[in-house]
Amino acid sequence: MRRSRVTFAASVLAAAALTLAACGGSDDSSSADSGSDDTASEEVVEDDAADDAADDAADDAADDAAADAGGETYEVYALLPQGNDQPYGTTYLPPMEAKAAELGINLTITNSEYDADKQASECEVAVAAQPDGIILWPAVADSIRPCLQAANDAGIPVWITNADVNPEDADLTYGYSGTDSYGQGAASAEMFCEFADGAEIGTIQVNGLTGNSVATLRGNGFSETVAELCPNVTILAEQPGNWNKDESQLAASEMLTANQGNVQGIYAADDTMVAGAIDAAKAQGLDVDGLIITSIGNTFLGNPLVASGELDGTVFQSSSWDGENAVVGIYRAMTGDTSLGRDDDASVLYMPNPVVTIDNWDAPDVAPEW
Amino acid sequence: MSSTISLGTDEPTGTWGRVRRTASRRTEGRGIVLLTFIIIMVALLEPLALTAYEVTLGRIALIGIVALGLTAVILMGELDLSVASTLAVAGVIMASIPDLALGIVAALVAGLVVGVINAFFVAVIGINSFIATLGTLFALRGLAFVLSNEAPVSLANKDAGIAFGQPLVGPLTPRILIFILVFIAIQLFVSRVKTGREFFAVGGNRQAARDAGIPVNKRIFTGFMISGFVAALAGVINTLERTTADPTAGSTVLLASFAAAIIGGNYLKGGRGSIVGTLIGAASLGILQVALTISGVQVPIQQIYIGLILLLAVTTDPTSLRAVRGSLRTFRQSRMKTPDS
Repeated sequence: MRRSRVTFAASVLAAAALTLAACGGSDDSSSADSGSDDTASEEVVEDDAADDAADDAADDAADDAAADAGGETYEVYALLPQGNDQPYGTTYLPPMEAKAAELGINLTITNSEYDADKQASECEVAVAAQPDGIILWPAVADSIRPCLQAANDAGIPVWITNADVNPEDADLTYGYSGTDSYGQGAASAEMFCEFADGAEIGTIQVNGLTGNSVATLRGNGFSETVAELCPNVTILAEQPGNWNKDESQLAASEMLTANQGNVQGIYAADDTMVAGAIDAAKAQGLDVDGLIITSIGNTFLGNPLVASGELDGTVFQSSSWDGENAVVGIYRAMTGDTSLGRDDDASVLYMPNPVVTIDNWDAPDVAPEW
Repeated sequence: MSSTISLGTDEPTGTWGRVRRTASRRTEGRGIVLLTFIIIMVALLEPLALTAYEVTLGRIALIGIVALGLTAVILMGELDLSVASTLAVAGVIMASIPDLALGIVAALVAGLVVGVINAFFVAVIGINSFIATLGTLFALRGLAFVLSNEAPVSLANKDAGIAFGQPLVGPLTPRILIFILVFIAIQLFVSRVKTGREFFAVGGNRQAARDAGIPVNKRIFTGFMISGFVAALAGVINTLERTTADPTAGSTVLLASFAAAIIGGNYLKGGRGSIVGTLIGAASLGILQVALTISGVQVPIQQIYIGLILLLAVTTDPTSLRAVRGSLRTFRQSRMKTPDS
């Protein structure tokens, strides 16, 4: 009696799980993290002309691809480190899926939750499935070489999205599309220096998740650019805010307390964290309008802060561009428009990252997406 | 050695009786039923998860190896929450030492030391293992960040790492082979070696175990050292395969390991369970995860499945079912005694 009930319950659950799995096959989970960028290896695209060229190349590629998609379908695995649980990812996925549908690509999207071992296992699954291509957003760029090697050995083209691989691994890929994390930190620093205008300023720095490559690059981009462009700005303290508003608020509060009276500026590695840091400053009775505050993202959270004048400037990041161009890139790789080793110029597509201030916060081309 | 006194029931006899008697002693029944149905459903709906068996075995080994070590602690009614952090810190220690062999030895020794520290707090100081290992979880994670300077540490010899990830025997990679060896070693230890068998006594009734002359504290030290060593071994394997030690590694390992042990019929309060059960639990989870991954099912949905399976495993535990039946009986009786208004 007891055994029969156990058997029945187990069978119902297993059947339901697998049936739902089959039904949910076309869904995915993926997406982006708070930042996008590539590793230190890639050169920083700093001038507008380069940005425009990259943008044009991406648009042209998309148009060509759409024109060429003559009914042929492709199977592509997208190995991503996050899913719909993240704001960036939520808006990264729909354009990616829409572009995939347009180009005749069937996407199978995974989410490793930033666990490099789990992503490696998903890579093994993907290689075993022998798809036409793999889109890879590395959970940890340093640990991705075995996956690239396995895909390469199996003859499967790999396109990197959002955060680039290390320079020594780039030869195993067909290209990269995404942001330049170091450049984003540097752009935020340039704004900060401009607002400081030569005055002696002490600032606190709220970084992303410790150990995360995007967090490291943005942090380095900010601190190194400040040291180079405006030595009058002193970074008094830095703490991780872990891409989280509450944790950022705590970290900022501690740094403001420890440096009471000496802080005239705040930098946070994304808009979510800068919102927490601004709350911390308000809680301590500081006049945030009198502080120099910069960030990265221009998100739905950050844009109103720019409009209100509390956030002096942020760096726009388009999740839709990121998701869409990941598909465009792998399509070009599968159709032979780019080759292994990134030999042609168009194999690296950098996302344009315009700065957003009180002067352009409501411009259509920088409308927040996430 | 021991005898069983039956009260009010006849001992089953004959072949069927022996089968029933054996089945009633084992704890893996629910896991076997679940694994069987998962295999059948995967074969029908997502056969690639089975045909690409080397990939699925790799996933099972990824989940299972830490769970095997963890089971040694669970059998004694203790918990080790520090396994994921041990995995991370072992990897960082290994990658930080240029000499590969020396690095591996240092990482494994570090795992043993972590086990000793955990056991010291539990057995000597008397701190609840949940709290003690929660402390080491945070401390070791922080240590991993400090040692790695908050960034991934690459192996000096990356080629050796890539070679380690290649199949060694047929399609089986060293990870899978090591997993099999660890399973055999721990299974033999807890089933054939007196020290290992005493884990069940320590978990079943600690005072009775002391009264019977079992050195309980020594067994707790042994269990935590096994758990720490195996977690460090998993860190070594991961670092070799990825060619890099990541201080954030193992973020999904802890809960998956506990899930594998529970699905396999291990009783978290100790005294009941088996290494075979943990293997079955890891296999169930691994096959299901690979099938769901191939199907492109979102991670949150995957977590719902795993949560449901865990709930099913817990609620169909014979003790839980007996408790539910008892509660229902009490409820019915109280209703019958209540006079109509």
